[in-house]
Order: sequence, then structure tokens, then C-alpha cells
Amino acid sequence: MLKQITLALLAITTVPAFAFEPTRPVEFVVTSGPGGGTDNFARTVQSIIAKHKLIDAPVVVTNKGGGSGAEGFVYAAGYKGDPYKLTFGTNNEYLLPSVAAVPYAPEDLTPVATLALDEFLIWVNGQSKFGDVKSFVEAAKAKPKAIQFGGSQSKDTDQILVSTIAEVTGAEFRYIPFKGGGEAGVQLAGGHIDANVNNPNENRGQWQAGMVKPLCVFRPDRFPQSAPVHDGKGWHDIPTCAEAGLAIDSYRMPRTVWLPAGVEEDVVVFYRDVLKKVSETPEWADYVAKTSQTSQFMTGDEFTAYQAKDRETVLKVLKREGWLVK
Amino acid sequence: MGNFGYLMDGFATVLTAHHLMIMMIGVMLGILVGVLPGLGAPNGVSLLLPLTFTMEPISAIILLSCMYWGALFGGSTTSILFNIPGEPSSVATTFDGYPMAKNGQATRALTLAFMSAGIGALAGVVMITLLSGWVARFALQFSSPEFFAVYFLAFGSFIGMSDNAPAKTLVTMMLGFAFATVGMDTISGSLRLTFGIPDLIKGISFLVAVMGLFGIGELLLTTEEGLRFDGIKARVRPIDVLKTLKEMPRYGWAILRSTLIGIWMGITPAGPTAASFMSYGLARRFAKDKSKFGKGDPRGIVSPETADHSAGTSALLPMLALGVPGSATAAVMMGGLMIWGLTPGPMLFIDRPDFVWGLIASMYLGNVVAVLLVLATVPLYASILRVPFSIVGPVIVAIIFSGAYQVANSTFDMWLVLGFGILGYLFKTLDYPIAPLVLAMVLGDKAEDAFRQSMLMSNGSLTIFWSNPLVSGIMALGVLMLIWPLIAKAAGLRGLRRHTAGHQAKV
Amino acid sequence: MAELEKQFLSRKTMEMVTALLTAGAGLAICYGSWRSGIGWSEMGPEAGYFPFYVGVLIILGSLVTLLRSLFFYRHEGEVFLTMEKARSVLGFFLPLVAFMVISLLLGLYVGTALYICGAMMWQGGYRWWIAALAALAVTGLFYLVFEIGFQVPLLKGPIEGWLGIY
Repeated sequence: MLKQITLALLAITTVPAFAFEPTRPVEFVVTSGPGGGTDNFARTVQSIIAKHKLIDAPVVVTNKGGGSGAEGFVYAAGYKGDPYKLTFGTNNEYLLPSVAAVPYAPEDLTPVATLALDEFLIWVNGQSKFGDVKSFVEAAKAKPKAIQFGGSQSKDTDQILVSTIAEVTGAEFRYIPFKGGGEAGVQLAGGHIDANVNNPNENRGQWQAGMVKPLCVFRPDRFPQSAPVHDGKGWHDIPTCAEAGLAIDSYRMPRTVWLPAGVEEDVVVFYRDVLKKVSETPEWADYVAKTSQTSQFMTGDEFTAYQAKDRETVLKVLKREGWLVK
Repeated sequence: MGNFGYLMDGFATVLTAHHLMIMMIGVMLGILVGVLPGLGAPNGVSLLLPLTFTMEPISAIILLSCMYWGALFGGSTTSILFNIPGEPSSVATTFDGYPMAKNGQATRALTLAFMSAGIGALAGVVMITLLSGWVARFALQFSSPEFFAVYFLAFGSFIGMSDNAPAKTLVTMMLGFAFATVGMDTISGSLRLTFGIPDLIKGISFLVAVMGLFGIGELLLTTEEGLRFDGIKARVRPIDVLKTLKEMPRYGWAILRSTLIGIWMGITPAGPTAASFMSYGLARRFAKDKSKFGKGDPRGIVSPETADHSAGTSALLPMLALGVPGSATAAVMMGGLMIWGLTPGPMLFIDRPDFVWGLIASMYLGNVVAVLLVLATVPLYASILRVPFSIVGPVIVAIIFSGAYQVANSTFDMWLVLGFGILGYLFKTLDYPIAPLVLAMVLGDKAEDAFRQSMLMSNGSLTIFWSNPLVSGIMALGVLMLIWPLIAKAAGLRGLRRHTAGHQAKV
Repeated sequence: MAELEKQFLSRKTMEMVTALLTAGAGLAICYGSWRSGIGWSEMGPEAGYFPFYVGVLIILGSLVTLLRSLFFYRHEGEVFLTMEKARSVLGFFLPLVAFMVISLLLGLYVGTALYICGAMMWQGGYRWWIAALAALAVTGLFYLVFEIGFQVPLLKGPIEGWLGIY
């Protein structure tokens, strides 16, 4: 009874709803621990929304990075139809269910938008004898499994990329999983592993000091012009892998935002518009430039198509390696 | 003495009314966050992060790092007063801190803890000032085998110290390992021991386990003697703080040893939790009179606290110099550095000496401010024990359950706390030691990851743990520590004096 | 001693119950690890390798404890809990469980207020209005610190929903 009265009262007080407008705090669910790449992404979006007052309701950020991010997706999937749970992730949203027995399906979340693409590079130690990716691959072919690739997590984007490199070139590598890209970066700087495939942001500090150096980047074209980082070389001077003779045109990781399944269409539209505005601010441009990512706003069919293609490519690798969860 | 000049410049930057004010605010917020078990330093720091976007980087890092110091102090407070470690690294402080508070000496216990923590932190900063360049290079030599060796050393120095039945020690320690493995496995990328329960995917939170085992378990034990606190008979006099300060020099040797352990564990970087356990284990092992350990021995408070804080402070060096966060809190701060437009890494010392040395100067001052603030409030904290149990008991329970919920916004964790509480009560009354469980839970999965990474690197050959002087040295030390009780026993049969001389020669 | 205080539970029983409990946990751990592979592959130990032996050791340790308490029992005749102590412990533990169940149903704020109020009235013997005021004060403080100060939400139930607090 009381509930009905309250509902009736709510119906009077709220504006007749053509479009969704949040009336209570919005929770940003971050599928990584504090300080991780996804965490920085979500908190940047939060700070931009706060600064430009893009959402009237307060925004609360919670970290749910357990189980490589599965914790956050399972949590959000449990709030079917809830318009107040915005989940931040990467392509792990649709990859995790394929490699681990996690209790959610990619369809349990509604895609809202992709805001940026993070890049991957092949990095070697600063003192390494390899100056380009060709000699690196030749060396790997000459001695199978001698080259040690470090990376973040297992059966995740890093290892999938290493496996793809192996497939394309016919070389064999040994892959060593670490807890995160930062650890893989330090292991490379210390010369304990031979290479890693870190994102630009994870190795930038070591590159500045000349402790690591990039061989090539998995972008369709080179990075835009920017200030030199080390020894007169900047991001633009790094060749693309395809141009350096490693036939992988593009391998990137989208920075994605999701809602629980079953939300109304106007809710998706509302957040899509907010995120669109976020991606047009100077602060966003600044974040993307500082972390050497590529700003790319994708929603709707474009996002779905990207996702389908990404998934297809990755599933091939997973199938070949036998990593698909039974 | 280039560093010294930079440091003086740093002090000039930091010693302004504005920055001192920020320090005080940071420390006080930190204490609050540290006292409430569900919040914790990483949470508090990430919450303040958006506030700092518009601040000068140096002011921002002072705020965040002072919050971190405050949280470390706050964590020790609840360990001593209620046997609830606010932070993982203050678990070892409960072993003697809580009994001492229970004996009616809460003021003394808190003062000892805060003073030694302050000394440890300052020692850590001095080390950073003098050795920053060398330490960064040294830390780079550590790879998975070396990490495993360091964890092994921490285990070796701590276990074998309990007088309990070996079978019971084995059971609790192994349970700790098992709890640590629940969830996603880093090396294989698959889920383990989750038994299809969605709530177990994220693993079993260390904090939840500790709040149950120590907090609820201890409350249940306390109520056996009626619904009251024993500490209630304690008289709280501010003069006790000064009296305790005067007894500090007596623990000089323990402080020195713990500082060295802390710095070593901080830069290697096994972290503050391992450091505090190792330091406690060694303090007990090398004490002539062990009978009072676990019953309120001052050395049992001074040693883990000193090591905890010197490790916590030294762990910031790898973060600045290499860009590797040594802890969750450091990870958040690193995120902050990037947002402020600074790149953590080796070049930070060269490109932005003003920032780095300003931060180091603020570490000196921030810790002094923190120690003064907490010492001044000791009588206040200690008098909480005088509030009747029928009020404080339920409030603690409410804080524990709220904290358990907040760790991951999960009601499942509330059930877990209850379960761990009953387990803690059973274990305590039946003389199962809980400390090995906690240590295994903290280091277990890290040790396993390091071991399996090493196996990947060596193609499954165990010789990798003896492959270079560094790793062999640490492993040998670990083995020595592990079999030390046996050696001591054997030597003890031949005469205690000769054994003492022998160990001094070795160490 | 045992004559003066009525025995509620003997220590021997509890030793055995606990040992069986840990042995059960050990079995579960072994089964769980066995499902994720307990071998030693070319990549080193598999995911379940270490946990499996951890489980085995738990079972062994529990069996030793069980046998010791059955046959070589040192604490023969010792009391685990006397009637009086049991009443005291349960007097604290049962309200605690009630608090948790209420919190799961009605949210942590309502649970905390009711629990503190109840505990102060029945265990502390305070008058109802003092207890109610104290409970409200603590709950209010929680709200200020958690929701407003640190923006970490606590579990909420239907009552907050009716009041329009999210």
C-alpha cells in the first residue's frame, strides 16, 4: 500500500518522462583495480562530467576488478534493466566468457559506446641487439621458444596478440603472464624478459629513460606528430608493424562503456549523448594525447559491427590455441 | 651532495602554511579512513583524486601521501584497541598490541606503536634520500625467481615460531594458502576453487577474512567472560604517553633490526605486510625471554610497526624511480601523477627534481606531523575502551559488517565475515594459531605466481632458484631461517652460550 | 572444576568437530583443484597443482588432530564451554546474527539502528529513549561518513527507498 502511494507521489514529482534523466546517483562500475587503465579511463570521464556538469545526479565510482574484470561484469549483469549502473571496460566484456567459466554472457550487457582505442607496440630492452622487428622475428625463428614475451594476464589481449604474431610469422615464443602491464614493463627494463606488447602508457616512462625501446606499433598508420620522447625520437617515428614487415595491420583495444541488458532505449540514448559530449571536450583530447591512445567515438551499429569483427578475429586465435572454455 | 641541495629546495617548497595545512588535513582524513576497516587507504586516495585535478602537482601529492601515512597509523589503532587490523600490514601488531591494551595499558601500546612507526618511516625516507639512485638499479635486478626467494625468506623467518601443535599449524597455514587461491588464476587465466559460486570469482578478500577471524572471533571470545571489555579498568592519563616515550631507547636494537628488514622488504618489493610479519618472527626468535610474546611484550609491538612503516615508505621509491606501484595505494597515486601530467619513471628524478624532492621533503614533515597528531590523540582513543561494552560491542560489529559489505558491495562477504568469525573463535579456543593462516593468505598467491613464472622462464627446471648469486643468497638465507629452530635446539643441547655466539657471527 | 560449572560442550567434542570440519574443507579443496588440473605440464605446474596438495595436507593435518583427540587426548575432561559462558557468548552472538539477517532484508542502516538500540536496551539496561537516540546518532554518523563524506554506499533496503534516499 505504502509502496503504491510512494510510486504515485513519484509519478507526480518527476517530469513526465519522454527522455530519461537520472534522478539518483549513477554508479560507474570499473572492471579493473584502482590505478589500472580502465580505472584511469572511468575517472577521467567522471572528472569531465563533473567539470562540465553533463549529468545532474552525482556520480559514484566503484572498482570491481576481481577475476580480470569478471567481478564487475557479473555485478552489472545482475542489475537487469537498471539505468544507474554504467560499466567501464575494454574488449574483455565479450572475450572473458570465451576463455573462463564466468557466470555472465556478453549479451547480459547493452553496449553504449566506445570512446577510444588503445594501441599495442612491440617493445624490447633498451640495450637489446634488435633494432627492428624483422631481425627480432628472424631471431625467434632461428631458436624456437627462446624469446620470452611478457604480458599482462593470461589468455587476454596481450597473449592473444603474441599468439597472432607467432601465427603470422611462423616463429615460436614463450609467453610469461604477469599481474599487469606495469610489471611486464619493469621486467623488460631489468632485462629479465626479451619483449612485451605493452600499451604506450605502460612503457612511456621507461622509454624516456632509454631502458626500453619500441620496435613497431599495431596501428594502420603511424602515430600523429608529437614531441620527442627519447634520443630525438617521438611516437611518430615508430614504424607501423605492417610497414616494418610484420603483416598485422591493426591490433587495438577499445575503451568501452556498457549498461545492463533490458534498459529502455532512451536510457542508452541519454548516456550516449553524455559520452559524446565528453569525447568532444579539450580535457578528453588531453587525456587521449597524454596516454597516446586514439580517440574514436563509436556507438550503435558501428560499435556492434566492430565488436562482431573483433570477436571473430579473437575467437579464431582462441580456437587455434585451445583456450576456449569447455 | 647534490641530493642534499635538492632536499633543501624541497623543504623550502613544502614549508609553507598552505602545505602544512594540507598535511594536517591529509593525515586526519587518513586516520579516519584507516580506522574504518572497509574504507582503507586506496579507497580514500582514489576518492580524493578528482579534487586534486585542479591543484598544483606538489600540493596534490602531499595531500595524497599524507592521507596514506594517516591511514597506516589509523590501521594500527584499531589493531591495538579492538584486535581488528584496519590494514593488512597491521595484522602483526595485534599479536602483542591487543593483549597489552587488554592488560589495561592501551595508552602505552598505542604510544609504542606510533613512535616506532614514526621512526621506521623516517628511516625509510632517509634511505630514499641517500640511496635513491642505487636502489632503483638494485630493484631492477629482481625477477620472478628472486621474488619467490624473498617470499620464501619471509615464510622461513615466521613459521616454526609457534608453540602450538604442528598439525594444527599445518592446517591453518594450508587453509590460508587455499583461501588465497580462490578466484582467477593469473598464470592460466582460468577460475579456481569457485565451485560455481559467482561471488567467489573475485576471490576471498583478505580484509574480510581478517575482520572475521580477528574482529568477530575476538569479540566472541571476550563475551565468554561476560559482556564487558577488560580494558575498562585502565586509567587513561596523558602523562603515560610521556612515560612510554622515555622507555623507547630500550628497544633500540629491535628498532634497528626492524628498520633494516622493513627497508629491505620495501625495496625488493615484498611489501609492508611481509616485512611486519618477518620482523615480528625474528624479534621473537632472537629474544632471550620469549615467554611474554603474545601476551603484551613491547618488542612485539615495536618490531612489526617499525618494519611496516619503513617498508611502506621505502616502497614509494620503486614507484617514483621505476613506475612500478608497490601497493594498491601507490597505484592510485601513480594514476594521479599521470593525470597531473607527470610520468612516473626514471626520468622523473631528472625532469622534475622540484616535484620529487618536494615529495621527499613532505615525507619527512608529513610523518612528523602524523606522529604528533596521533600521539596527541592517544588518550582519546584509549578512552574508547572505557565506554560500556553494550554500546561499543554492537558499534564494532556494525562497523565490521559495513566494512565487509563495502569491500566489494557484496552481501556474500557479510556471510563470509560471519563464517570467519566462528572459525576464528573455534581456532582461538582450541589453540589453532591464526597468524600462519594470515601470512599464507597474504603471500600465498604471490609466491605461487612467482614460482610458476619462474618455471615458465626456466622450462620447468628448479635450478632457476640457484641460478645467480642474488637469488641463491636469498634462498640460502630462507633455508637457514626455516631450519633455525632445529639448529637452535641442537645447539641448545650443547649449551646455550655457544649457540648465541654462533648466531651473532652468522647474522 | 567441572563439577562446579555445568558442562555445555566438552573440549574433546569440539576438537573432533573442528578437525572434521577442516578435513571436509580439505576434501572440497582437493575436488575443486582436481577440476582445474593437478598435473605438471610443460608450462610448469597447472592451476590446481598447488591447491591440490594444500588440500591433501589439510586432510592429513586434520586426521592427525582427530586421532590425537580420540586416543592421546591431553585435555581429557576439559570443558569447552560451561553453561554460564555459553549463555554469555550466545547472548552476544544471537543478536549479531539477527542484526545480519535484518540488515540483509532491510539494509545496513536500519539494521544498525535496530541492533544498537536493542543491544543497549536489553544488554546494557538503558532506557529506551537513550538507546534510540544513541542508535540514531551512530547511524546518522555512518551515513555522513560513508555516503556523503567518502561516497561509499552501504547496503540499503526498502525503507530508504520509501524515504527517497539512494
